Amino acid sequence: MHMTEEKYLICEDSIEGIFTGIYDAYALKEGHEHLHIQIGEEENLRLFASYLYILPDSVKTRKVAETIQKRLGTDTYMSICRALATEDAGKGQAVYRTVVDGITNGSGRRVLENSRNPYVDTVFRLARCAGNEIHRLMEFLRFQELEQGILYARIGPACNIVSFLMPHFADRLPLENFIIYDDKRELYGVHPIGKDWYLVSGMERKPEEELRMSEKEEQFQDLFTMFCRTIAIEERRNLKLQQQMLPLRFQEYMVEFVKK
Amino acid sequence: MRIAPTMSIADKLKILADAAKYDVSCSSSGSSHRGDGKGIGNTVAAGLCHSFAADGRCISLLKILFSNECIFDCKYCMNRRSNDVPRASFTPDEVCELTMEFYRRNYIEGLFLSSGILYSPDYTMELICQTIYKLRTVHRFQGYIHVKAIPGADAALIRKAGFLADRMSVNLELPTAESLRQLAPNKNRKTILKPMKLIQNGITQNRNELVLYNHAPHFCEAGQSTQMIIGATPESDYQIMAVAESLYQKFSLKRVYYSAFVNVNQDKELPALPGGPPLLREHRLYQADWLLRFYDFTVEELLTEERPNFNMMIDPKADWAVRHLEQFPVEINRADYHLLLRVPGIGVKSAQRIVRARRFGRLTFEDLKKIGVVLKRALYFITCNGKMMYPTKLEENYIVRNLTYQNLAGRKEKQLFAQDGMRYEQMSLFSQEAETAEISG
Repeated sequence: MHMTEEKYLICEDSIEGIFTGIYDAYALKEGHEHLHIQIGEEENLRLFASYLYILPDSVKTRKVAETIQKRLGTDTYMSICRALATEDAGKGQAVYRTVVDGITNGSGRRVLENSRNPYVDTVFRLARCAGNEIHRLMEFLRFQELEQGILYARIGPACNIVSFLMPHFADRLPLENFIIYDDKRELYGVHPIGKDWYLVSGMERKPEEELRMSEKEEQFQDLFTMFCRTIAIEERRNLKLQQQMLPLRFQEYMVEFVKK
Repeated sequence: MRIAPTMSIADKLKILADAAKYDVSCSSSGSSHRGDGKGIGNTVAAGLCHSFAADGRCISLLKILFSNECIFDCKYCMNRRSNDVPRASFTPDEVCELTMEFYRRNYIEGLFLSSGILYSPDYTMELICQTIYKLRTVHRFQGYIHVKAIPGADAALIRKAGFLADRMSVNLELPTAESLRQLAPNKNRKTILKPMKLIQNGITQNRNELVLYNHAPHFCEAGQSTQMIIGATPESDYQIMAVAESLYQKFSLKRVYYSAFVNVNQDKELPALPGGPPLLREHRLYQADWLLRFYDFTVEELLTEERPNFNMMIDPKADWAVRHLEQFPVEINRADYHLLLRVPGIGVKSAQRIVRARRFGRLTFEDLKKIGVVLKRALYFITCNGKMMYPTKLEENYIVRNLTYQNLAGRKEKQLFAQDGMRYEQMSLFSQEAETAEISG
């Protein structure tokens, strides 16, 4: 009996990188169980394994995205995108094998309900994790008004979710110029009044102290901070519960906790 | 005490947020629409909690009174006429400015506007209507608005508010008409239920209109809610839950809120509560409320005349389960959804996931763990493929002792419950230490 060689497809950490990897894995037409999608280089190379380096390709990406949407449904597609927004090292492989379960093994639109498959379960958990983070940032993100009325928010989310937040805020604040800045990934989401939003990365950042706030900004920060303190009922004081609902990693970005 | 006309907006906000804080509801759920691109705001079905206060309650809406001046003299209320407290009233423009500026900074999901009775119910309701009308039209605000219907106000005004608000509420205040008579001499059950009925009819009528005309304006899309004060008067949990159940059935309420009594006025007709507000009791009522709304329980199953109060030591669902051991264990791979919902440790989400996942093959305890079932609670009540997780006694006191032990693990009660021979009938003698609980939302 001869041993099939294990193949590792090394992909870039992005939806484009991983979808291209999935396209190439299918194109190899070998057994899926010997193919692995790996994000970035590994330090210790395995013996008896070969490595393929995958370059992100927009045509292949679009084909994979369309196939997933058509065969597995839009909800599954969105879950997969959310799972890929996490920092989990195994997310590429989990998504790949989930697609295999859905398309090749035939679970189709129900694929994410098959929690007995550990890869599917991983995608489900990662998607939920990123989904929770998106929901929390929709809640906890704080804008401040800069000169000329631009709204600016700085966030430090656990996953790469600026692109999921932008549609929500663009719908909510169509007549505002606003910027959401992810300071962990140095990524900006920019929404100009009445136009489509876009992402900018690799831009040199202006230090926070140099941002000039509008004349009224301080007043509203003070009003809200006072409101939050006043609304608490002293007889029910429960800081443990407060922290459980609103972990410290969010509080450091929120005006009502930062203000003295 | 009268207001000085020069009071700053900060002074007013401090007084009128402080005066509004005993209103529990802060939910922004139930409405869902996108912005029209020409104004500001949208709503999200699940609601969003923008912050949490030092008491652990969520801050979703700018919760304020329009005015804390009041012609009524309810004994439990800090804004009652006979109290000497600083008084203030907003103008509609001030409320609009605060709402808009807070909203665009993503501090809040919208406005919760209540009020003391300024001069008369009609006068007050008119001011509330004016304010939210301005917010919707002049400022093109499309976020969430929750307003109070003032008991005694003209039906036309309440209707007008309903077409501008996402949610309306009228507070029942106290569970029985008798208690209301004692503590709120200017209110009565009839004037409270009347606007509630009006709103219910408005919603039903609107639903019919929407079927005919897609673009008919919405009336209280997120429904109506109410709240009761718990522990100021002698009603049992059974009486309270029976009232809640009939409000859900007869008035189609979206939510009933329970508010542990805080004795702000030290009124001699009200209990002193040296141990603080009855938070654990409030928590049990919320748990039971959830069982009514999402788990297909009825009040009669949970409580009876003979057993009118919840067990403080274990939650109402576990309490029901241990008193109905003849229905357990249930087989995870076969039991229908409604039966799964009755298993302690299985919530709505895990019950749904179980039903879906078992289509792909038989589930094991390992699968259940991944699905999110709390096995240390569920293990007494379930089998997987005919087997229990490990051999255990199906005996009431034994299970209760184990469930309680987990509940309180790490606390000082731990040693007490570890003692042999402890029967749970005795447990309620111990301290009713409050549990932390998510009560808002």
